[in-house]
Amino acid sequence: MRKRTLHRGLTAFWWLTLTFLYLPLAVVVLYSFNSANSSANFVSFSLRWYHRLLGNEAILSAFGNSLVLAISSSLIALVVGCVFGYGMYRHRHRKLGWLIVLIYLPIVLPDIVFGISEMAFFVQIHEWTGLLQPGLGTMIIAHVTFQIPFVALIVYSRFVGLDPTLFEAAKDLYATPVKRVVHFMLPTIKPALISAFFLSFTLSVDDFVISFFTAGPESATLPIYIWGAIKKGVSPEINAIAALMIAAVALAAILSLAFSRRRPT
Amino acid sequence: MSETMTAEIADHPGIRPVADEQDRASRKASSIEMQGLHKRFGRDTVALDGVDLDIRAGEFFTLLGPSGCGKTTLLRILAGLEEPDDGTLVVGGKNVTEVPPHQRSVNTVFQSYALFPHLSVRDNLAFGLKMRGLPAAERNAKVDEIAEFIKLGDLVERRVDQLSGGQRQRIALARALVCEPDVLLLDEPLSALDAGLRSQLQVELLRVQKRLGMTFVFVTHDQDEAMVMSDRIAVLNGGNIQQVGAPREVYERPLNAFVARFMGHDNLYPISARQGDRLTTSLGELTAEDAGAGDLLLIRPETLDLLPGEVAGDNHLTATVGERLYRGSHAEFRLEIGDTTLQATVNNRGRHLPEVGETVTVVVAPEDLVTLSE
Amino acid sequence: MSYSGVMPSARSRAMVRETRHLLFTVTPGAFWIFIFLVLPSAYLMGVAFMTNGPYGLPQMPLSLDSFERLAGFGFLGWSPGNLYTLLRSLWQTLVSTALVVVVAYPIAYYITTCREKWRPLLLLAVVVPSWTNQVIRTFGWMNLLAPGTPLSGLAESLGLVAPNMGLYPSNFAVTLGLVYNFLPFMVLPLYGAFEKLDTAQVEAAQDLYASPMRAFWHAVFPQTLPGLLAGIVLVAIPAFGMYVIPELLGGGKGMMLGNLVANQFAGASNWPLGAAGAILMLLATFLGLYVMRRLGKRLGGGEEVVI
Repeated sequence: MRKRTLHRGLTAFWWLTLTFLYLPLAVVVLYSFNSANSSANFVSFSLRWYHRLLGNEAILSAFGNSLVLAISSSLIALVVGCVFGYGMYRHRHRKLGWLIVLIYLPIVLPDIVFGISEMAFFVQIHEWTGLLQPGLGTMIIAHVTFQIPFVALIVYSRFVGLDPTLFEAAKDLYATPVKRVVHFMLPTIKPALISAFFLSFTLSVDDFVISFFTAGPESATLPIYIWGAIKKGVSPEINAIAALMIAAVALAAILSLAFSRRRPT
Repeated sequence: MSETMTAEIADHPGIRPVADEQDRASRKASSIEMQGLHKRFGRDTVALDGVDLDIRAGEFFTLLGPSGCGKTTLLRILAGLEEPDDGTLVVGGKNVTEVPPHQRSVNTVFQSYALFPHLSVRDNLAFGLKMRGLPAAERNAKVDEIAEFIKLGDLVERRVDQLSGGQRQRIALARALVCEPDVLLLDEPLSALDAGLRSQLQVELLRVQKRLGMTFVFVTHDQDEAMVMSDRIAVLNGGNIQQVGAPREVYERPLNAFVARFMGHDNLYPISARQGDRLTTSLGELTAEDAGAGDLLLIRPETLDLLPGEVAGDNHLTATVGERLYRGSHAEFRLEIGDTTLQATVNNRGRHLPEVGETVTVVVAPEDLVTLSE
Repeated sequence: MSYSGVMPSARSRAMVRETRHLLFTVTPGAFWIFIFLVLPSAYLMGVAFMTNGPYGLPQMPLSLDSFERLAGFGFLGWSPGNLYTLLRSLWQTLVSTALVVVVAYPIAYYITTCREKWRPLLLLAVVVPSWTNQVIRTFGWMNLLAPGTPLSGLAESLGLVAPNMGLYPSNFAVTLGLVYNFLPFMVLPLYGAFEKLDTAQVEAAQDLYASPMRAFWHAVFPQTLPGLLAGIVLVAIPAFGMYVIPELLGGGKGMMLGNLVANQFAGASNWPLGAAGAILMLLATFLGLYVMRRLGKRLGGGEEVVI
C-alpha cells in the first residue's frame, strides 16, 4: 500500500520535473509564432519572425560561422583526439598521471576561466607577433582544445572495451602497422569515432562563453548573436532562431535514440 | 558434431592429407630451434630463464605447466608477439628472433579466439590472406575450402557474435590454418569450452594436425589434454624446462618431483636408506628393478594390486583401507600403512573390492618402481 | 635468479620503440592542450600579480593590488562590493547545489524503478534540454519570469514580489536558472549509483531495521554516496564560475564571481583584478578535482566518476 503511494508520488514528481525542464524551451518555441512583439502574451499565430530571419544577413552569417566553427573544430579534434586516445590506451600500463591531469583540465576548468585566459593569451601573442588575430581561427583553436579530451576519452574507452588479443591477432595475421590501422583499428572504433564527432559538434554549437571571449568582430556565431540581441533588448526574432536551434537538438535527440536502438548490444 | 562428423572431416578431399614420408617432407612444416631464450617482465619477474628446446617438423608438441610457468611467454615469442631479452629462435632453418609477427609464417589460435567483431565470419577467415595481398577470387576460394573443411560452410556469412563457443573455436582454428603457416601455435584453445565439447574438439584437432602434417605447438595447463594430444611434451616450471619427452615417458618416468606432482602423482616417499636396489622408506623396505639414483620413490597408484588379508612375500605391504571411492570402471583407495598413506587405483573386474577398515596386502611390482630427485 | 647483468639490447630497443610510440601518439594532443590552455592559464595567473595599467592592461611592477581590491580595498578605502559578489557566488553555489540534490535524488531513483527498456529514454528526456545552448535556455527563463507573465503575476498576487517587478532580474531567478542548468549533471551520476544498488543489502536492511526510513539511511543512502559526491563536484565547480545565468537573470544585484571576472576583461577593464578572481575559481576547481581524485581512488576508477 505504502509502496504504491510512494511510487505515485514519484511519478507525479517526475512529470513536474519534466515540465520544469521543458517549459522554458516550449515558451521560446511558442512565442516564436507570436504575431505580437511581446513575450508576455500570445496574440495569434504567425510566421513573421521566421520570415524576418531569412532577410537578416547578420543572422545568416552567424549561422555560417557556427557551422564552419563546429565542423572544422570537430574534424581537427577527431584526428588529434583519436590518436591521443589510442596512445593513452596503448600505454595504459605506464604511469600517465600528468597526461590524465592534462586531459581532464579542459573538462574541469570553468568556462569563464578557459575563455578569458585564452583571450588574454591570444591578445598578448597577437601584440607580440601579429599572429592569432581574434576571429574564427582563434575560436577553432579554443574549441578544439575542449573537444580533444572528449574524443580521446571516447576512443580510449572503446579500445579498453576490446579484447586486447585482437591487436595481436591482427599482427599475427600478417597485417603491417599501416594495415592494422586501416583494416582493424579504424573499422573497429568507427562507432566511437562517429559518436565522438557528434559530441564534439554538439559541444561546439552549445558553447557560448569560450566562443564569446575568443571571437573577433566578424566571427559572431549564433549564440553570440543571440546574446547580443538579448543584451540590446529582447526581440521576438530571437525566439525564432532559438526555436530553430531547439528543433535541431530535438532532431539530434531522436537520431541518437534511433541510432542506439538500432545498434546491437 | 559427432564422431562420424570428425571422420568426415578427415575424408574431405579439400585439403590434401599427407600421403607418405616423402610427401611429408615436401610440406612446409618447419622445425623450431630455441636457444638460451630469456625473458623478464619488469625488474624481477623472470618468465623464461634460459630455454633450449627443439621441436621437430610436423610434430604435435605441447608446452605444459602451471600458470606463470612461462609457457605462454614462450608461445608468444614463437609468434613474435614478444621479443626475447636474449637467445635465438630458428624456425624452418631461418633465424626469426627479431622478425616482427606480421612477417612470420606462423599463426596463432588465441585462447579468447580474438575474432574481429567488426567483420563477418568470411572476412575473419580471409583476413590473413587479404593482408598478404592475395586477390579476392583466390581468397574466396580458399575461405570456402577451409569452411567446408571444418564443416562450417553455412556460417560464413554470419556475424561473429552469432556464433556459439565451439563454432568460434573452429573459426579461429580455420582462420589460422587457411594461411597455411609453417607452424601453428595454439594458446589453450579449448579452455573456454565445456568438458564434452572439449574432448570432442581434442580429437578433431589431433586429426587435423595428422592430416595436414603441420607443426603444432600447443599450450595447456591440463596434463590429461597434453597426454591425449601430443607427440611430445615439454613440462615447464618457473621459466625452466623440467622435462621433454613423449607422454608415456613424462607420465611414467618423471625426472623430478615437480613433474611427477604435475602429472598427478601423489605417492612420493623420501628414501631414508638404500642398499643396492633395496630402498627404505616410511612404507617399509621395497626392492626396485631399476631404481636410478634419485632420493624420492614414486609409486603409481594404478600399478598396485590389492590382496585380501595379510599375505607374506617380497614387496608385499600390509595396509588398512582408510577410504574407498567407487568410480564405476575403477575404484580409488586411500591405504594406511602405519602413519603413511598410499593411493591405489584398482580396475573393477567384478571381483571383491575391499571395504573401509579391511586389512589388505599391497603388492608392488619391482619393475614399476621409479626414483627421482626432489 | 640466474640471469642478470647489463640490460640486453633487445630490451632497451623495445623500450625506446615504445617510448617513441607514446610520444608520437600523445604529443599532438598534449601539446595542443598545453600551448592553448596550460600556457594561457599560467599567463593569466601571472597577470593577477601585475599592476593595472592604462586601458586595463597589465603592466609591471608585480604587486598584490588586485587581490587587495578583490577583498574590497580600493582607492576610496574599503568597500564591500567585491566581497558581496564573492559571498553571493558561494551562497548561490550552495543553495543551488542543495536544491539540485533534492530534485535529482528522487528523479534518479524514479528512473531506476522503471522498466529497463524505458530507462535510456527517460535519461535522455532529462538530458536533452541541456543540449540546447545555455543562452537559449536562459532566454527561455527570461520569457517565463519577465514582468507580466503568468508566473510573475502569480508571485505578485501572493505578495512575493513587488507589483510590476516580475521575478527577474533577481537572485531567485539566478538560483532557478542554476538549478535548471545543472540538474542533469546530478541525475546522471546518481542514476549510475542507483543502478548499481545492491538490492540484497536493501532487503536485508528492511529485515533488520524494519522502518523504511532507517533501512534507507543504513542501506540505500551509503551506496548512493559516491554518485552523490561526484554529482556535487560536477555541479558546484561550474556553478561557482557561472557567467551567463547571473548576467542575464541576475541584473546588477545578482552578479557572481564569473561576472566580476568577465567585466574586468570587457567594460570595467582591469585585467589583473579579473585574473585574481580567476585564480579563486581555479583554486575552487582544483579543490574539487582533488576531492574527485580522492573519491576516484577510494571507489576505484576515477574516470567513471567524471564522465
